[in-house]
Amino acid sequence: MNPYVLMILLSSLGLGTTLTFASSHWLLAWMGLEINTLAITPLMAQHHHPRAVEATTKYFLTQATAAAMILFASTTNAWMTGEWSITDLSDPLANTMFMTALALKIGLAPMHFWMPEVLQGLDLLTGLILSTWQKLAPFALIIQTAQNIDPLLLTLLGVTSTLVGGWGGLNQTQLRKILAYSSIAHMGWMIIVIQYAPQLTLLALGTYIIMTSAAFLTLKMSLTTKVSTLATTWSKSPILTATTALVLLSLGGLPPLTGFMPKWLILQELTKQDLPIIATTMALAALISLYFYLRLCYAMTLTISPNTTNSTTPWRTQTTQASMPLALFTMATLGLLPMTPAILTLTT
Amino acid sequence: MLKVLIPTIMLFPTIWLTSPKWLWTTTTAHSLLIASISLMWFKWTSETGWTSSNTYLATDPLSTPLLVLTCWLLPLMILASQNHINPEPISRQRLYITLLASLQTFLIMAFGATEIIMFYIMFEATLIPTLIIITRWGNQTERLNAGTYFLFYTLAGSLPLLVALLLLQQSTGTLSMLVLQYSQPLQLNSWGHMIWWAACLIAFLVKMPLYGVHLWLPKAHVEAPVAGSMVLAAVLLKLGGYGMMRMMVMLDPLSKELAYPFIILALWGIIMTGSICLRQTDLKSLIAYSSVSHMGLVAGGILIQTPWGFSGAIILMIAHGLVSSALFCLANTAYERTHSRTMILARGLQIIFPLTAVWWFIANLANLALPPLPNLMGELMIITTLFNWSPWTILLTGLGTLITAGYSLYMFLMSQRGPTPNHITGLQPFHTREHLLMTLHLIPVILLVTKPELMWGWCY
Repeated sequence: MNPYVLMILLSSLGLGTTLTFASSHWLLAWMGLEINTLAITPLMAQHHHPRAVEATTKYFLTQATAAAMILFASTTNAWMTGEWSITDLSDPLANTMFMTALALKIGLAPMHFWMPEVLQGLDLLTGLILSTWQKLAPFALIIQTAQNIDPLLLTLLGVTSTLVGGWGGLNQTQLRKILAYSSIAHMGWMIIVIQYAPQLTLLALGTYIIMTSAAFLTLKMSLTTKVSTLATTWSKSPILTATTALVLLSLGGLPPLTGFMPKWLILQELTKQDLPIIATTMALAALISLYFYLRLCYAMTLTISPNTTNSTTPWRTQTTQASMPLALFTMATLGLLPMTPAILTLTT
Repeated sequence: MLKVLIPTIMLFPTIWLTSPKWLWTTTTAHSLLIASISLMWFKWTSETGWTSSNTYLATDPLSTPLLVLTCWLLPLMILASQNHINPEPISRQRLYITLLASLQTFLIMAFGATEIIMFYIMFEATLIPTLIIITRWGNQTERLNAGTYFLFYTLAGSLPLLVALLLLQQSTGTLSMLVLQYSQPLQLNSWGHMIWWAACLIAFLVKMPLYGVHLWLPKAHVEAPVAGSMVLAAVLLKLGGYGMMRMMVMLDPLSKELAYPFIILALWGIIMTGSICLRQTDLKSLIAYSSVSHMGLVAGGILIQTPWGFSGAIILMIAHGLVSSALFCLANTAYERTHSRTMILARGLQIIFPLTAVWWFIANLANLALPPLPNLMGELMIITTLFNWSPWTILLTGLGTLITAGYSLYMFLMSQRGPTPNHITGLQPFHTREHLLMTLHLIPVILLVTKPELMWGWCY
């Protein structure tokens, strides 16, 4: 892609999100979301592969539907109450419609079906943008309106997302689909606590972005998209092989890695709100997700592929990719748990 | 505390920076030094029971023996795995010792923690190194299955525990073990509280393991390399017993009735797993099931919550930790020579390795609780206190002791006595290292009985 075009697309991607962040008026927020969608569409289709075009079409259709619903919800609200301000979303019909639309936008179960399909069609960097940056604008809107939304709806969305995210990933062999299901499960954790402690949602979103960036960049570094090719990554980078297992377990939420922090704090908040049954359900649903992360660890690190390589193994040659971001994200993924008190102080 | 913790953390640079030639020597020496420093914990200075270096880490008579056992085991694990890890590439050797050392770091923080939530996190943190040791360095393909079982049994039990702990924190306002025993007794009477009670204990009962949720243990033991089996049998199972003793203080009014099914299951498990041992063909699997059987007695002793029960449980845990670890080492020495765990293929080894037969003999006698070894002291205290609680338990515990004697003799006779089969000629002789390993296991067992107050906990 032409660098000038790429620059325009990336800057409008940033512009769309920041516009949504900054706006207090529904129309402007909607406009930011649309700019965002339109800017990423050419990025998704940049390789002109039929699978990429299919993914782009699917993404565009779902995002357009969600945006239309948001527009409809906000006009309904304006019609009923005369208010265009984002925080004054008081009409119940508009509320529910708005939450459904945003759930569709970030891929919460049961509106998640587009997510694995789309992510599987993209290259890894665009996939990384889709599963991190593209979540920010919708979350900014959800956090501002969550107080007015029916708690039952949010709880249902949260619990089904963690369950579906775990369940769906079980029989996948494609890594990008697995990461998509992992994203769905993590979104469930963020939604469940949003009414009780929005700062924990932000914390969970932040740690999710760190962990999933580490995962995507690892796959990018080793050029892997399938479980079967994961088995020979040790020949490309031995150290990466060792850390990837821990990154995956961190995504699964095992202490003493970073991934345990949001889960722990969210469970604590849920028990504080007298919801121990929901807390236990969420905790046990995370186990289902852990199963497929563990399978990836087995395939990549804990077993050695039986085929021998006769050529020089590629780890002897210097990689051309930038490894600094990967190193930073991996370190943050593995070691942030002891920082929990500091991070809690910063967020609350 | 930090006198041991900081040298343990400094093991990591030692492992990665020493020259390959000196790797095993320096790590063994370093960890043995840590183990001898850790004996200082036995010198209790505090009257209240807790000796604390800061608010988060402290030792008391209950945790000290387990902490010392943890530190003692690291040099033994390094000694034991030297032979089978040595042929691997140097970075893999370093990684292996790193995992063992990280396990020790987590375990020290688990046993030394005063906050229950920190104990919980460290309890879970031991999962990752153990999982990697089992599934990366195990021998058969079934190790992947064993790793999955290990991880998911433990997590399925311990995630409800996390929620239960957070609920406890919400109702009492603190989770510090120093304060918690002085807090207001909880009003527990509803069904929800009963579920909370079960959630508090089931994680530890799975880790112990209680009969019925023990299936992960034989798999993990059979597939793990020798260091994995050693640490699993000697220390990781004891996390369960230790956690239970800490939690029992909180659960008081409910435990009286609700513990019945668990006590029955534990005692019944002694008989069942003992009978499984009697018809076992796989040496490591036999030792693993014998662990389950002994831990059933420990669980019974803890669940009836008498001072004698607690003392007996901690004595039996320490003694069993050393003895089962020794048995796994012996099984591994046989495995490294015959490359089979099947007992029928390696009979009559006494003729070939007479001194090793002595080690087998002592370890087996300790396992079946012969006087004057501390195993007997622990078992007797638990059996007595169970008899005092209900005379009928003597049927189960007595039969259990008989079966234990039976399978220990079976294991000894099967592997050491009888004619030597023709196919096991030309075995490699024993190294001094292996004899040293056995000596370092068995000397503490014999010496501990002369000063049992080191390990009998609060209740003397």
